[in-house]
Amino acid sequence: MTTKMMASSAYDWVDERLGLSELAALARKKTVPVHAQSFWYYWGGITLFLFILQCFTGVLLLVYYRPGVEAYESVRQITFVMHFGWLIRSAHAWAANLMLFAILVHMFSVFFMKAYRKPREFGWLSGMALLAIAACFGFSGYLLPMDELSYFATKVGLQIPVAIPYIGPAIANMLRGGPDVTEFTVQRFFALHVVVLPALFIPLLAFHLWLVQRHGNAVPESEEAKPASERKSMPFMPNFLRKDVAMWIISLNVLALLASVFPWALGKQYDSLAPAPIGIHPEWYFMSPFEMLKLLGAVLPGEAGEIAGMLLFTLGIVLWILIPFYDKTTEAGRRGRIAHYFGLLAVFALLTTTVIGYWTIR
Amino acid sequence: MNYPFWDIPYLGSGWVIGIIAIFHVMISQFAVGGGLYLPLAERKALREGRADWLKELTGYSKFFLVLTGVFGTISGVGIWFAIGLTHPEATSTLIHNFVFGWAIEWVFFLIELSTAVVYYYTWNKIDAKLHLTVGWVYAGASVCTLIIINGILTFMLTPGDTWLAVAGTGREASKFWNAFFNPTYWPSLLLRTCVCASLAGIWALISASRIDGGKQPALKISLVKWSVRWLVPSFVAMPLLFAWYLYMVPASQRALLMLGIDTIGSGTFSTITRIALLIVMTSATIIGVAYYLAYRNPIDFNPAHAVAILLLALIATGAGEYSREMLRKPYVIGRWMYSNGVRVPYAIKIDQEGYLAHSNWVWNGAGTGYSRGEAIFRGECGSCHTLNGYRPLVTLLSGRDRANIESFIIMLHEYKPDSPYHHFMPPMVGTKQDVEDLTDFLNAHVNPPAAGGQKPVQTAER
Repeated sequence: MTTKMMASSAYDWVDERLGLSELAALARKKTVPVHAQSFWYYWGGITLFLFILQCFTGVLLLVYYRPGVEAYESVRQITFVMHFGWLIRSAHAWAANLMLFAILVHMFSVFFMKAYRKPREFGWLSGMALLAIAACFGFSGYLLPMDELSYFATKVGLQIPVAIPYIGPAIANMLRGGPDVTEFTVQRFFALHVVVLPALFIPLLAFHLWLVQRHGNAVPESEEAKPASERKSMPFMPNFLRKDVAMWIISLNVLALLASVFPWALGKQYDSLAPAPIGIHPEWYFMSPFEMLKLLGAVLPGEAGEIAGMLLFTLGIVLWILIPFYDKTTEAGRRGRIAHYFGLLAVFALLTTTVIGYWTIR
Repeated sequence: MNYPFWDIPYLGSGWVIGIIAIFHVMISQFAVGGGLYLPLAERKALREGRADWLKELTGYSKFFLVLTGVFGTISGVGIWFAIGLTHPEATSTLIHNFVFGWAIEWVFFLIELSTAVVYYYTWNKIDAKLHLTVGWVYAGASVCTLIIINGILTFMLTPGDTWLAVAGTGREASKFWNAFFNPTYWPSLLLRTCVCASLAGIWALISASRIDGGKQPALKISLVKWSVRWLVPSFVAMPLLFAWYLYMVPASQRALLMLGIDTIGSGTFSTITRIALLIVMTSATIIGVAYYLAYRNPIDFNPAHAVAILLLALIATGAGEYSREMLRKPYVIGRWMYSNGVRVPYAIKIDQEGYLAHSNWVWNGAGTGYSRGEAIFRGECGSCHTLNGYRPLVTLLSGRDRANIESFIIMLHEYKPDSPYHHFMPPMVGTKQDVEDLTDFLNAHVNPPAAGGQKPVQTAER
């Protein structure tokens, strides 16, 4: 029996039980639109690839990381003692940042392509939830090394929920495991980071991908206006998948470049009695909300300002999430234009507040 | 030392060479690889009677002529200026050893440039066979330029024991061939030949990506696929050649790579490991991306895809050249001249007589410790460090007081074999007074005096 025949009979055996041929037939039927904005279709795949990398490097870090009082020491060992530990840790940290960047690019490309309209509302909502969980991944992961910077940045970050009236302090205490950031906080954040958040993220991601498969890729309005005969498309299998793979390899290389040239540093071990170092600031993806609250606090000082800031910020997020129920269809006309301007305003606000945030900590 | 110091604040003089060299290598190795690509493609087109290929090659040879003949030559001369200013001592040694080698190199440059012009301007004007011969003459001359420059470049890493035995005697040129065919000559030549072939394929993809696949599908598919095949020799042979190259490098130099495996600690020893990883990673990426974007999807292959591959090649070239330079540490010419231009056997003499006593271009009067220290900094540290920019000493020494800075310099001065800095930094040479003066200068920058305090006398104020 030749190798080819053996492979064929093995495939038949599995196919009979799992129905692989049906899946292959489905994949062959799937097409991807080809137009001037096709580039944006890759960003969902890039996000997925970076998430897989996160899981892989995260499991490797898990082998040596010890939460609690030994957290800093274990990260020090990973960075300075384990062979290529610095590389795995740097790759994990950089992939986290790249993944959040890819999610934001994916979100805005979906927004401006109006890919949230009927029947893709659940795709948009699940995407928003995935973004929120990814941000929580970032926040919880940032504390785990327990160096000076991560300790004080988390301390400042956990002051934000305190501003919520009545329940704020209780939420902050629950997250911290007490009135201050301690080893108990690391223990909680660790549990969140490696168990709770993945348990939420993975099924939601599967749902999100299933929806993409079900509804296919949305096209920009300019493309939708064309008659069907003038629209171009390419088969997903194998043409688009090959390009997707090329994009993943390039993403991996960008990650290798960042992790090699700018390896993730480890600061001094935290000292809760020491004053906070100068220039403590949140990670770039939290800089915009942090700066918005700061700016509003300057306009409306005191508790009123904090509450107003939280309300305004929450309102903005709620409006953003609910956009599919306002701008529902292609025929939306005026609503479609308003949604478009709302998106532009959001991009402008995000960029300017982030720049102001970094400018003012210089 | 014998020449003035070229002080480039923030960027550092090494990066002036680096920036020019990375772009120059991208073009000059393309000039060699492309020199083989053009006649081979022309021969194939003539044998198969493919008029569409010949038309495409005419346009491609114009692009080739402009890129290699203009940018390649200008950046090549730029490197000469930059190395002469940055490393005058090393450049002097190279000229004294390889003056005839370089003269021959320039002869081949002239043949190369002339035939490239003739090749482009005689398409369809002379007999096809004669035109192809012109292409082969170009290819031969360009390969010869690689054969010669490779000897000089590898000499700097591994000059070999025979040459080292006569170094400093004035009879160095008598061992020209030993210096030329030094231990890393052959692996490096084969490595660079593979890189040249890859760059020929990558640059050809830029040209092929512009063909309209809808109108000329057969031309685009055949040219894109044929160009991707030029990456195969690298893919197959590079890992073996790389291993051979590293095997021929002295163990002390290989140790630099090992030092960075288990730490990200600052300094050259970890940087080279990280950048070497980048070469391996990016080379694999180029192959993968070229396979999926070009070889398997030739019709859809567009200029954006081709530019992505070219940018990856730029990263790989940059990482490769950077690693090659770093691997030489602490020398600029292996075991003969330290990276700051001090000749190894002269270190003891300088320790006894003082660094400035051997520096012909510095003001050597009774200045302050600060100004003498500044001159020593420029001469001994400036080829690798800046004060506040690339590898900044103010940052690297931050947190140390004067005594601490002094003990660090003493450690570099003693240069004990078990010191971790021994692997990648030259010793600090000079007298006890030189150590004091350098400490004064560095301390004034790392721990600047409080406002209102006495300012050190600046060199410019003297």
